[in-house]
Amino acid sequence: MSRRVVITGAGVVSSIGVGVDDFWRHCLDGESNVAPVPARWQNYAELHSRIWSPLPDIDPESFGIGRTERLQLDPVSVLALGAAREAIERAGFILEPVEGRTRAFRLCGADGARTGVYLGTGLGGAITFLQNHTFHLMKKPRAALMSYMEEHSSTRDRTVLETILELMTHGLRFNPFEVSMVMPNAPAATIGIKFSLMGPNETHCVACASGTVAIGNAYRAVRDGRVDVAVSGGCEYFGDDHGHIFRSFDASGTLVRDCASPETANRPFDERRSGFLFSQGGAAILVLEDLEHARRRNATIMAELIGFAETFDAYSIMSLGPGGEQIERMIRGALADAGLSSSDVDYVNAHGTGTKNNDEIETSVIKRVFGHSVRVNSTKSLLGHTIGASGAFEILVTALSLRDGTTHICRNLETPVHDLNFVRRVEQCDLRVGLSQSFAFGGHNAAVVLRRLS
Amino acid sequence: MNTNSQQRVIKVIADVLNRNESEIGLDASLNDDLRASSLDQMALYIALEDEFQRNMPPEEVTELRTVKAIIDFIDKKLHESSPA
Repeated sequence: MSRRVVITGAGVVSSIGVGVDDFWRHCLDGESNVAPVPARWQNYAELHSRIWSPLPDIDPESFGIGRTERLQLDPVSVLALGAAREAIERAGFILEPVEGRTRAFRLCGADGARTGVYLGTGLGGAITFLQNHTFHLMKKPRAALMSYMEEHSSTRDRTVLETILELMTHGLRFNPFEVSMVMPNAPAATIGIKFSLMGPNETHCVACASGTVAIGNAYRAVRDGRVDVAVSGGCEYFGDDHGHIFRSFDASGTLVRDCASPETANRPFDERRSGFLFSQGGAAILVLEDLEHARRRNATIMAELIGFAETFDAYSIMSLGPGGEQIERMIRGALADAGLSSSDVDYVNAHGTGTKNNDEIETSVIKRVFGHSVRVNSTKSLLGHTIGASGAFEILVTALSLRDGTTHICRNLETPVHDLNFVRRVEQCDLRVGLSQSFAFGGHNAAVVLRRLS
Repeated sequence: MNTNSQQRVIKVIADVLNRNESEIGLDASLNDDLRASSLDQMALYIALEDEFQRNMPPEEVTELRTVKAIIDFIDKKLHESSPA
């Protein structure tokens, strides 16, 4: 059984916009949200990178998430739920409240048992783990130090002790729901519970390729008839109180170093690139659907998914294989799955991190496989790197680009690392087939091929 | 008993247990009358912590059997300390 698979809905929570329309408008305007990292983070470490891409203030109530739910969810699950709800509603499914269950819904127009969830995330609920760990470590020593200060310290000592106490700040509680908040499958499970989706519920933890692998597997599940509808995408949240996760990436030398001009520091594919822009996170969720199922509902179709492939470098846990052979094999595999050749592809949404190694290898592979004419951009030049959500954002951008016959620029690109057809201005063009690719720590490579639906 | 904290506690209990506030009597027991499971009670205490910004460690709240006992506990916490 092989069926055609289409995208009928999408939802987004990102640093440049909440909601697909807002997000896409800001993409086409070439906007990016870059800010200094929170000052308090620098109390804990000498950071080399000093900028990030923060999310806007988000009210979980606007996603239909009340306090009781919010207190039991890591922020990554809140983002995923918000994007999933938008995607499901934009796909045209009416949300019907489930009697006897607080704020739970079923989808009118879809069989819950034939609807699956396929989600990607890099670190899942890491923030909850860090917050609980800080409470676990600091609660008693901080209380003891406060008692000591009250009983023994002179005025001079107080200033020192108050500074130390400030550094030992922790949250209000040790959240007893930690296990179910931290587990990487929590965002997917939360979506399944919220919308009564009883088909397969999968989580793909493949670092920066998580979103792409999740959507690829959702595509296969719909194509092969295992489900009729799939809610699929990626999510990540890295805004911990003390900048621990930022420090992890910073210490590994992956983040943008040249921060003197924050607005132009993030420059994938440019000779002057110095690393990737750390993102606070985000979520991009798609609704994939069997074409005939979508047509019976008169759903609006954004684009068609026609191919997927994965390979593994088997080389290094943090570095791409030097020749990019497995990336090339992945691209050719995805094209074979789609029944196309490289000359059929009009647009490549690249992994495009802005690290020296990635951009050098990726451009050489693109040149080798596609030549000079294929349009290339990097959505990370706008959003920074959302890790487990990035592939989903980029597949969404590829779908929107095919739908609208235009795409966003490669922001801050002045001197390209290779002679490729990088997108330098927004213009109408004939985009029929696009490929979105992701590479990940560990050595994972994944690509999805999409086609404009005439 | 502080009327303001009483209303807030009842509102939180109603929200967590998905009940009407009118169903939450002062003498109602969490286990028998309101049928709050152990998970419900975990959710209730973190919601009360959030509402009143006071730490409510499990070892201090496990003996609270009724709505009135919770309100008295909260009042005592509010009287004893500033927000956590």
